Amino acid sequence: MSAIVRAEGLVKRYDRTVAVAGVDLAVEPGEIFGLVGPNGAGKTTTLRILATLLEPSAGEAEICGYSVIRNPDEVRRVLGFMPDAFGVYDDMKVWEYLDFFGRCYGIPAASRRRMIGDLLDLVDLAGKRDTYVQALSRGMQQRLCLAHALVHDPQVLLLDEPASGLDPRARVELRELLRELRTLGKTIIISSHILPELEELCTSVAIVDHGSVLAQGRVSDIERRLRFGAVLRVHVLADDAGLEAARAHFDADPEVASAAILEDRTIELGFRGDDAASARLLAKAVGAGIQVVTFSRAASDLEELFLQVTSGDREPEAAA
Amino acid sequence: MTERPMDDVPSAPIPTIEELGPDATAMAAAAAGATLDQPALPAAAPLRRPHPIRWLRRLLNGLTAVGVKELRGRMRGRRAFVVLTLYLVLLGTFAWMYELILEQRYSTTSGGTAAYASAAIGQELFAGLMMVVTLLVVLLAPAFTAGAISLEREKQTLDLLVTTPISSVSIVIGKLLSALTYVFILIAASIPMTAVVFVFGGVAPEDVIRGYIVLFATAFGLGAFGLFCSTLVKRTQAATVITTFGVMAMTLGSIFILVFWGAVTQPRFGETSGGLGPIKGRPPEAIAYLNPFLAQADVVCTTQTTYGSYCARLASLLNGNAGVVVFSDVGQPPEPVPMPAVDVSNVGGNVEARQAFASADVVPVQQFGVSRNAFWPRSVAAWLVLSAVLITLSVQLVSPTRRWRFRLRRGRGRTA
Repeated sequence: MSAIVRAEGLVKRYDRTVAVAGVDLAVEPGEIFGLVGPNGAGKTTTLRILATLLEPSAGEAEICGYSVIRNPDEVRRVLGFMPDAFGVYDDMKVWEYLDFFGRCYGIPAASRRRMIGDLLDLVDLAGKRDTYVQALSRGMQQRLCLAHALVHDPQVLLLDEPASGLDPRARVELRELLRELRTLGKTIIISSHILPELEELCTSVAIVDHGSVLAQGRVSDIERRLRFGAVLRVHVLADDAGLEAARAHFDADPEVASAAILEDRTIELGFRGDDAASARLLAKAVGAGIQVVTFSRAASDLEELFLQVTSGDREPEAAA
Repeated sequence: MTERPMDDVPSAPIPTIEELGPDATAMAAAAAGATLDQPALPAAAPLRRPHPIRWLRRLLNGLTAVGVKELRGRMRGRRAFVVLTLYLVLLGTFAWMYELILEQRYSTTSGGTAAYASAAIGQELFAGLMMVVTLLVVLLAPAFTAGAISLEREKQTLDLLVTTPISSVSIVIGKLLSALTYVFILIAASIPMTAVVFVFGGVAPEDVIRGYIVLFATAFGLGAFGLFCSTLVKRTQAATVITTFGVMAMTLGSIFILVFWGAVTQPRFGETSGGLGPIKGRPPEAIAYLNPFLAQADVVCTTQTTYGSYCARLASLLNGNAGVVVFSDVGQPPEPVPMPAVDVSNVGGNVEARQAFASADVVPVQQFGVSRNAFWPRSVAAWLVLSAVLITLSVQLVSPTRRWRFRLRRGRGRTA
């Protein structure tokens, strides 16, 4: 296995609570890996262990072959970390901020100057070079913090909730930035509870809840594996009676678990089948003379997936 | 970046997606249970000790990084220099006013020669300036450092700092030195002011040097104390409160304990010795080591050729057998003051004192058995030892993972 980031059986216990209960992760180089889970699932703790900020109670993790427990210094050199809650220093200009971290990584003065220019271009803050850091907007501070994590050209980036508190525009910009970083060959681990974000961005995800990984792999793989039922929305051209007839038609199909008419006169179907089955369903409906206007899978599959996987009926086990 | 071969990493296969099905929950729970029970880690490999020169270079590199960053913020703009100017104006005004007070006093004192009066003024002025600058150091040094680490915690910048390769030693010492730089500047800026005493005489250059050694050591030690409090508690406010109480204990508290000790050990009428339980005899000098005012009093005492007030105060506090006067008579002329009562255990004290008074000469051994010029070096040493201990502890507290290495080495049996 050529995993660049690997965690095995990570456990973090506090006095009474278990924040992380045996997390296994394997992230291939060049991936954008999403760590998805509700608040308190253990995402931040996992990332902080990987970032050498916390010592795991048990388990082992390594980044680029360096153990986060035994070689934290080496790990810090190949790793850029952006915490979920971070502050900025007062009384510091943007370039000084990056200069400071450049010094921390022991980058010589000449290349530091060039690096600051490059990074500010990358995160689109070139015009703010001499602005005081505390005067930047939240989105700009977020980008600056991302730039700080890139100062030493790390191979792996750990981003903890990078999109939180950003307006939609800033989010789009951040997403573009992360894509760009991926083309530069970085491996990115990103945690979020905002699922549509990750769905578009990530090559793989791990769904985390109550401190353990529930599912891990490519988004499409997990989807296929866990697709008990997608939600289909069908819009048909009919009056009330026709609508009810169409609903009854769909309901009669063996692969449709439920069918209901919504307020906006669309029919929502709970569907068990895969894509081929849904195509068959549509063909049958058209064949039956139903005038289908739209026929679509409800948006945000990952979100549904997530809700399915992290549904609350497992809590007694997780607490054990 | 150097690539190193993976060393003794457990190579158990990671469960792949195929193994993690819809029933991943149960598996994860099982895995969690397993790892909770077993000692999951292989025996901790010995930490590789970096080469000393590389380590030193890294340390210096980190120190510069932290220092440059801190000083950029602190020294930006005119504020720092305006404050410095204001401070010198105030200190100068104080010196001038105090000199006038002393002049008034000694010109009306009968029986002294002009040279004697001038020297006495010089000595008292030196004492006054040293005490004021000491007060400044006692107030400022811990206040400057008490927020050094906790502010980073509060503003959530410490994580960013700790995930860089700079060592915790660099962070702690860099923070300490840059926070103290301004205090050091204030101390150094007062040197020319203190040199005014040479106009009056009575104080030798080495006395001034001694005084400044005490000041710098005190500033460093108090700074380390503030920084330690800052790493110990999470909140700056709490750190400041603890620091303030600590400083009060060192200064007022130590004097109060000495006064108490002296009073309790005073023999009552008709008894040969006093005391209360373990409190008897002379108080341990160590109680006063961390009191910079007393260390400074020893330096001042060294300048005074007669049985001056600073010597008397110090001796009475540390011997615990005299009528105790605590700083209530600052500036009292070093006239023949009534000799404090001496008990028989201090044989020779009175004789020496009388000789000293008669000849008005340098007295090598201070009255009552406390040799002058000996207390302040012990105080400085105490500060340096304390600083070293506190810095070591602070480094451990700042470091996120490698805390208490000796405990890690002994085994990782740290159950919650």
